[in-house]
Amino acid sequence: MGAAGGGAVDVGAAGGEVRALRRQIREWRRGRADTRLVDALSDAYIAVFATVMLGSMAVNVVRHARMAATSVCVTEACSNARSVLPWVFAGGVVTVTLVIARTFGPLLVSPAEAAWLLSAPVDRASLLRPRLAFAAALAVGAGVLLGALLFTLGGFAAAPVAGFTAALAAACLAAVAFAVLGQAHGPRMGRVATWASGAAVWAGLLLLATDVLSARLSPAQQLRPVMTLPVVALWLLAAGLCVRAVAALPRLHRDRLTPGGSLLPSLSGALAGLDLALMYDIVLSSRWRARATVRPVRGGPGGAWALVWRDLVRLRRSAGPLVLLTASLVVPYVAATLGLGVAVPAVAALTAFVSGLGLCSGLRVLARTPGLIRCLPMSATAVRSAGLVVPGAVLLGWGFACAPAIHRAMPPVSWAESLAVGAAVGLGAVAAVARWVTAAPPDYSRPLVSSPAGAIPTTLIGSVARGLDVLLLVTAPLLLARPGPGALASVVLAGIVLAVLLGRTQGRSQNRA
Amino acid sequence: MPPADRAAPLLRVRGLRRRYGDVDVFTDLSFDLSAGRALALVGPNGSGKSTALRCITGVERPTSGTVELAGTPVDERSPQIRRDLAVVLDDLDFFPDLSVVEHLDLFARAHRVQDADELVDAVLADVGLMPQAAQLPGTLSSGQGRRLALASAFVRPRRLLVLDEPEQRLDRNGLDWLAGRLNAEKAQGLGVLLASHDATLVERVADDVLDLGGAG
Repeated sequence: MGAAGGGAVDVGAAGGEVRALRRQIREWRRGRADTRLVDALSDAYIAVFATVMLGSMAVNVVRHARMAATSVCVTEACSNARSVLPWVFAGGVVTVTLVIARTFGPLLVSPAEAAWLLSAPVDRASLLRPRLAFAAALAVGAGVLLGALLFTLGGFAAAPVAGFTAALAAACLAAVAFAVLGQAHGPRMGRVATWASGAAVWAGLLLLATDVLSARLSPAQQLRPVMTLPVVALWLLAAGLCVRAVAALPRLHRDRLTPGGSLLPSLSGALAGLDLALMYDIVLSSRWRARATVRPVRGGPGGAWALVWRDLVRLRRSAGPLVLLTASLVVPYVAATLGLGVAVPAVAALTAFVSGLGLCSGLRVLARTPGLIRCLPMSATAVRSAGLVVPGAVLLGWGFACAPAIHRAMPPVSWAESLAVGAAVGLGAVAAVARWVTAAPPDYSRPLVSSPAGAIPTTLIGSVARGLDVLLLVTAPLLLARPGPGALASVVLAGIVLAVLLGRTQGRSQNRA
Repeated sequence: MPPADRAAPLLRVRGLRRRYGDVDVFTDLSFDLSAGRALALVGPNGSGKSTALRCITGVERPTSGTVELAGTPVDERSPQIRRDLAVVLDDLDFFPDLSVVEHLDLFARAHRVQDADELVDAVLADVGLMPQAAQLPGTLSSGQGRRLALASAFVRPRRLLVLDEPEQRLDRNGLDWLAGRLNAEKAQGLGVLLASHDATLVERVADDVLDLGGAG
């Protein structure tokens, strides 16, 4: 490989070297492949057949869902909200694309590639260009799929669906290209764009909840095909950002490429085990490792209250989870506007559960690290309870704050009953969060059950549903009984679940081989 | 919980046995450890040193046998036992969002240590982590992480210190510091129980040595 020797790298020649390297690696891989041609053809046939079959099933499901939504959603408020909601969700898709892109890079190299290829005197841009193309294709594909899904379910005609889908695909592509620029120029611009995009989605939800947006836009305006010019402008913007991203490739530092490459295999492993809590740990750990240092905060009370104090310090240090939870308060109000009625408390509890997980990082570490609990001079129950004080108080407050939405959505109920349902929602979310955070990882020593995807341990199935099971249990009385007694039953059930989860004795390893 | 026997040694282990399936990791492990003394468990890999420490500290349940700390049966769920027993095994992990000094501050305050700030600063200086005080654990080297784990045992009250291969990942200066620190612990009247592969550390610290080499 030529360009060594301390001189400037000859980009043209180095680009050729990268291609040669890639070709060589491909030849090695092919040389070691032990798949016969007939096996490859058989695999390809199964892949094409599965894609066509599952794709046609998915299209059928979407068509039926659209027809069902059209027949159920007959009020003006509902149809207005239905045609506005896809816009908000489309904004959400762009935000999530940006978040995922920034979490992984979006450009990344595996630790082995970082060691062997990035340290070689080859042109980095040539090395990274195919990865940028892959990330861009992935973003466009996701934008097309989700755009078609959202706007079809929104009840739009074929032409607007095509226009909006093209716009969403361009927006996703622009988000990925912007994230690459963030990799080159520092995380600040990506962070600002993510927050701005999230704030725009939240503002859309707020307008939807207050029924302002749908009142200003008549259905005819909403259903008008998207103008060609804005779509073209969006694609031009995306193309411009892609060009700038390509130009920035040679300036990308190795330390901006390797974290995503280390994170992805870890997350793949956790996902293969369906261990979502482990994925949470990995992402959290990666994020804080990137931050490296903090301004230490010392002091505070003694005993178990020291843990509570640390959770308050965490909230101050990283306000993101609290901001997210507060912003998510708009969801039950949107559900009330959509006329979901008695389902609003269930929607609220699910929202609080999902958005509240970020508050429980301290409890999560305590739950998975018996060694840490052994360092503390109180019972495991006291430690876990202390770890749940701050998240519990915030979630309970969240539950009370969604009482007006419940009051508006449910059949005539008194304010006292609405507040009781709000308390049940908050406590239900606390119990679900505690279940998710403190659950043991899947136990692979348990009996296996046969499935189309192969043999899987029984606990693996439960690990996906953890938290949701408690949510279903606690919110069932709210859906089935009158608000007053239903809320009481929910509170009692949540209390029992919490007592069981927090009161469990520390698990001891009995079977180390 | 039975009352503590005041005349008992600090740690009394009698007839301890751990069996995995058909394999005995160790059998009939018995010893006493008095306050102000150190006992080292030695032996090759797989001889059961770490398992013995896990059984003695209650992390793992022995197949048979008894363990008493100052006359009180060891139950790691008991807050009183946790107050008296400072344990550093290989399973200690840290909060990813708390800095080095915040971890030590948390442990000291959870144990209601008087003058926690002074003690934490002294221990930080002692383990050589003062420059890393504001660093998050994920950014520490393996040796620094080991020092933090050891420091977590020194910022809290304790009667018995249990360490599993404390020499791991420490450099030569770190080993010198560790030997001095453990001897200081003994001089303060605390008991030290350690499993180690480092003959020099064992020689410098241990008053008694128990070889598990033939047990496994």
